[in-house]
Amino acid sequence: MSDDYNHPYDPHTKKPIGPLRQPGYYPDFSTLAQQKFWDAKTREVILDRVHNIPPIRFFTPAETTLIEVICDHIIPQDDRDAAHRIPIVPWIDKRLYENRHDGYRFADMPPDPEAFRLGFQGIEQIARHLHDCSFVTLQSLEQDKILKSLHDGKPAAGDEVWKRMPVHRFWMMLVQDCVEAYYAHPWAWDEIGFGGPAYPRAYIRLENGSPEPWESNERRYQWKAPDTAVSDLREPIPSPIEHPAPHRKRGLV
Amino acid sequence: MKAPILGEFTERDRQPHKLGALQRLEMPMSRFAENEEVDYLIVGVGAGGGVLLQRLARAGFRVLGLEAGPFWDTERDWVSDEAGSHQLYWEDLRITGGDNPLALGSNNCGKGVGGSTVHWAAFTPRFHPSDFRVYSQDGVGADWPFGYDELKPYYELMELELPVSGPAYFPWGDPHGYAFGPHPMNGVGNVLIRGCTRLGIPVSAGGPVGILQGSRADRPHCIYRGFCIQGCKVGAKASTLITHVPDAIAHGAEIRPHSMVSRINLGKGRRVSGVTYFDRDGREHFQKAKAVVVSGYSIETPRLLLNSACPGFETGLANSSDTVGRYLMAQAGNVVMGYFDELVRMYKAPPAIALSEEFYETDPKRGFARGFAIQTVGPLPIAFAKQMMSAQGAWGWGLRRVMMDFNHWAPLGLLGEILPHVDNRVELADETDRYGIPVAKVTFGLHDNDKMLIEFGKNKVIEVMEAAGAKEVVQEARYAHLVGAARMGSDPATSVVDKYGRSHDIANLFICDGSVMPTQGSANPGLTIQALAARAADYLISQGTTVFNSNKRAMECPPVRRNLSPDATWGHGSPRLK
Repeated sequence: MSDDYNHPYDPHTKKPIGPLRQPGYYPDFSTLAQQKFWDAKTREVILDRVHNIPPIRFFTPAETTLIEVICDHIIPQDDRDAAHRIPIVPWIDKRLYENRHDGYRFADMPPDPEAFRLGFQGIEQIARHLHDCSFVTLQSLEQDKILKSLHDGKPAAGDEVWKRMPVHRFWMMLVQDCVEAYYAHPWAWDEIGFGGPAYPRAYIRLENGSPEPWESNERRYQWKAPDTAVSDLREPIPSPIEHPAPHRKRGLV
Repeated sequence: MKAPILGEFTERDRQPHKLGALQRLEMPMSRFAENEEVDYLIVGVGAGGGVLLQRLARAGFRVLGLEAGPFWDTERDWVSDEAGSHQLYWEDLRITGGDNPLALGSNNCGKGVGGSTVHWAAFTPRFHPSDFRVYSQDGVGADWPFGYDELKPYYELMELELPVSGPAYFPWGDPHGYAFGPHPMNGVGNVLIRGCTRLGIPVSAGGPVGILQGSRADRPHCIYRGFCIQGCKVGAKASTLITHVPDAIAHGAEIRPHSMVSRINLGKGRRVSGVTYFDRDGREHFQKAKAVVVSGYSIETPRLLLNSACPGFETGLANSSDTVGRYLMAQAGNVVMGYFDELVRMYKAPPAIALSEEFYETDPKRGFARGFAIQTVGPLPIAFAKQMMSAQGAWGWGLRRVMMDFNHWAPLGLLGEILPHVDNRVELADETDRYGIPVAKVTFGLHDNDKMLIEFGKNKVIEVMEAAGAKEVVQEARYAHLVGAARMGSDPATSVVDKYGRSHDIANLFICDGSVMPTQGSANPGLTIQALAARAADYLISQGTTVFNSNKRAMECPPVRRNLSPDATWGHGSPRLK
């Protein structure tokens, strides 16, 4: 997903946005620039995350290619330049290799490493069923649509897989893993204007959304998701388990 | 300013063991010999175990706390970082199922000295008097085997020992005031105040929360960094690790970290003789004790009792009532998020900063029993992204977009009372952990009253959010806290322990944690767990050595001991108690 075709664009000028060193509405803000004000242990942990990307040890090369493509859709980074993309797959691989989890497993789910491999099978089966070719060789839009069918809980094929593992649980796990990698990175904090670590220095401007002296003000821009994507929608995830339907009031835009 | 005036905050050579920015732990602590019999052995040093350990040590007992996790040095071990804080949570495997499976781990379970108080948000409201007689008053749930008045002195003690910051006048339940002033508001607190005020709903601003608003002794005040859930490096937020454990150690208690208890051993005459545990290298040990207290919280406590089944107790130790593991409760914790045109920056200041208990009590007009509270919450980026994934189905570019608006969102939490149900329970799974101990299987589902309460409460929070001026409102269904699964009661046929936490079946086996609660109200359970522990301590102290050599069971209410508080707590501050 590196060609301009996949870039978000300015709805007025129709020009692609990116590749940028830092997308988001806080272009001058850098949490890493504040690292001298962090405590030693926090600095050590965060710099280690930025500089030491773990090797791939769990996924096979073919699985790695597949999960890379999937993650590029779940957290697309086409507006970021190549040097400032945030690694996601190595962190998922590390978790599965070390067999770490959040302290529980749903009774209707297999262990996470098995769940990932099952899910890959399911995704491949949908691609073969719909397009008669492998997921990774599909056009970006087709890939996005297949992932959206998991999001919607309506996969077109792979019944055997989804009988052994509820599709919404697999989808939640996948998105959660991507989120945990992306928003753990200081570049993502810069993108969203999160101040990051503040010990021992403290935050002092608590009200009215005021920035600290070392934070920046917001500078918004308009953007539209690429035409090759269907993920810029906000629809509730249908879930057979949770009873309350997510509440929506008015659209944001 | 490009750099700190005094240079970077580097760790200078080998620091002493630090608890917060200023407090130092005196090491080494006393260590009992391998074959030495201790008076009280406490399994789990969290909210309940920490307070009990401290008081029993002060009273002169020989006490040992076995803790499955590490003994934290907050400066060396903790970080201001979401992804780097996983070690604070109980992340060993559990199986979760039922109609509404509970998220465990970081959501409600701690590991390490201090337990979940290390990562609680530290909202510390008391239970209301009505919580102690839910069955007689509303015909649902259960009554507690004692009333609010018996616990009240311990609430007062704990509010000074943590201490709790809050308003001078707190109007709900048994109205009272707080000795330590409330915290300044952040953006989310202002949203709650604005929304509630427009609807005529009273709000408690700036607490009650167990976070120091001014410095006290060797604990600094809050610096509003917002990482309460990741462990307070400052030492401003109360956890038993910094409030009670240092005092326990100074009075001769031992805490043995990395000690995973696998079973409680039954000795002669229907009495327990000690516990079997694994040390950090996986070696098995037996520790003798005259009495055992289980303080492992609502999953690990029943798991340990069930895993300690033995001849005479085939279905689990102290489980003649078949109640161990049953009546597990979580509170409805739906999060309602509102988008505002102006910036909120929800990451600043403690997530726990303002609340309303206006809807706490049963209102017959609503058509369901019991009620709920509305509280501020403060997810950091990873947690917020996950909530948006659930609430909005956000992924891909939609997720990137909503996250770019991170600073425009304000979240409010419902805290709704879910009633105790016999089928919400902890059992043993077929799978085992790395020591070969069967793991817990948790089953949880909502019943009709719970569903009606959640629907009403959720809509009320949405109404508040809209009244505050939110342009878009979304909500995520989730659950908060755990209590129950080894409940107390007067009837040995329907409860596991008596009103002091003593097992009905075994005279020298006690439970001291949130699992003993028969109901949970819609108040965060942390303060009540600690108050119950202080009360249990007074009871054990009043029994002297009787517990160690007799099966006699005195039920008189013990005198309140105000001289057992850690130094520099009781008598400081000016409590404005009613």
